[in-house]
Amino acid sequence: MTTSAAQSLRSAEAQSASRSKALQLLGILSGFTAGAWLGAAEAPTKLVSIGISPIAISLIMVTGVFLARWSLPALILGTSSVRADVRRAPHLIIWAVLAGCLWAVANTLTIFAIRDIGLSIAFPLWNSNSLLGIFWGFLFFNELRQAGWRRWTGVLGGALVMCAGATLLAIASSTQGPGGHSFRGVWAALGAGVLWGTMYIPYRKAYLTGMNPLSFVTFFTFGEVGMMSALAIGYTGLAPLWRELLSARGVIFWLMLGGFIWVIGDLFQQYAAKYVGISRGIPLSNSNQLWGLLWGIFVFGELRGRSSSTYLQVVGGSLLMMLGVVAVAFSSASGEEQTRWKEAAQREGRRYGVAADYVEARMDGRQAADESAHSRSLWDWLLVAAASAIFVVFAGMARVPQMSFDGGPAALLTAALLLLLFISALALWRTTRFN
Amino acid sequence: MDTTDNPKANSSWLVSVLTDVQFWVPVAVLLVGLLLLRSID
Repeated sequence: MTTSAAQSLRSAEAQSASRSKALQLLGILSGFTAGAWLGAAEAPTKLVSIGISPIAISLIMVTGVFLARWSLPALILGTSSVRADVRRAPHLIIWAVLAGCLWAVANTLTIFAIRDIGLSIAFPLWNSNSLLGIFWGFLFFNELRQAGWRRWTGVLGGALVMCAGATLLAIASSTQGPGGHSFRGVWAALGAGVLWGTMYIPYRKAYLTGMNPLSFVTFFTFGEVGMMSALAIGYTGLAPLWRELLSARGVIFWLMLGGFIWVIGDLFQQYAAKYVGISRGIPLSNSNQLWGLLWGIFVFGELRGRSSSTYLQVVGGSLLMMLGVVAVAFSSASGEEQTRWKEAAQREGRRYGVAADYVEARMDGRQAADESAHSRSLWDWLLVAAASAIFVVFAGMARVPQMSFDGGPAALLTAALLLLLFISALALWRTTRFN
Repeated sequence: MDTTDNPKANSSWLVSVLTDVQFWVPVAVLLVGLLLLRSID
């Protein structure tokens, strides 16, 4: 080999390593931003205090989610990008719908779990989904293979420490006692954890075969809204459900807004799953509980007048959550592990007949050479306008409830959210053009 | 664990999905979740 050939090989290897490091950092940043936005999604729902059934609340939130899952991708890349992705990997429609169904059933189970055993016991049980995600990532997608004991300790230890922190926070923030059906509630919470942990199999499957997260969520939401509607009608009946929705006109906007904010968090969670895998992406985005508690304490005054031991639990739980996040964030995948990810991606590509160069380019956060640039059409703008109009109509009907609300901390937290959104979106755009 | 290796190129993506072991894991979990929900209710 000549000296110049050796130099160019070394330069290519250095470029590849640098690109890989940038994508890992992007995934970690996305996971952290996901936690902040998923946690903030709880804020609008706290404004809802009238007696609507939990299933109706879920259904209205999912409706907001549905609108956001179509309008945001149309706004960011255009639906032509979604269509192009589906043409390349049509099998992922089934996977996305399946993931949406898993989410809806898990969400309904959490309602029963909170009712029967209270949030303090239920939350840590379903938060175990991150441990199951690590297991599926290792078993099916070569995650944490050849990762070394330090990374294993960082990821698994970090996830366990976060579970312990989540337990403390849940105990501190719990205001609801057990409802007398503890056995049933424990099963419901564990079931939700298993369903959510398994939901990440379709996520990883999609991103290993190159699908853009913005395309995946548009089909995910059909499973989500379809299953949630079926459950709501099944549990409540069509006519009573309709009457309940009519009587809830004044709060529909707040619930749909919660769904909209949740989608922004979920989009970053999808990018985290894509660039750092599910074993690291899920624990990072599970930091949402910490953010939810910040809103609860500082904006809605939830722990006002509680004992000093409660505040100690909050401080201890928050520190543990942050420690876990740091441990996972500093355990990014090594070159050897990423080679194993690529092997899993090639296996998926072969199985589903997806072009190898497309899979490789998308895993690298790029467009394939034969892909044309996507643009927004009139249809995309109409979609965005229609979704915005629906929100505006319900905002016109919305009532502002009389409740404890501190505007200063709300403004600070909102500024922090917007800053994180700006930094992460800019990083995603510069590094991957949202691929 | 390599559960999806398939040397023959599948002509139909639907067949590829239905013969993928990894597909049946979430399907089974979903069915168990629905049964659990029914039994709880």
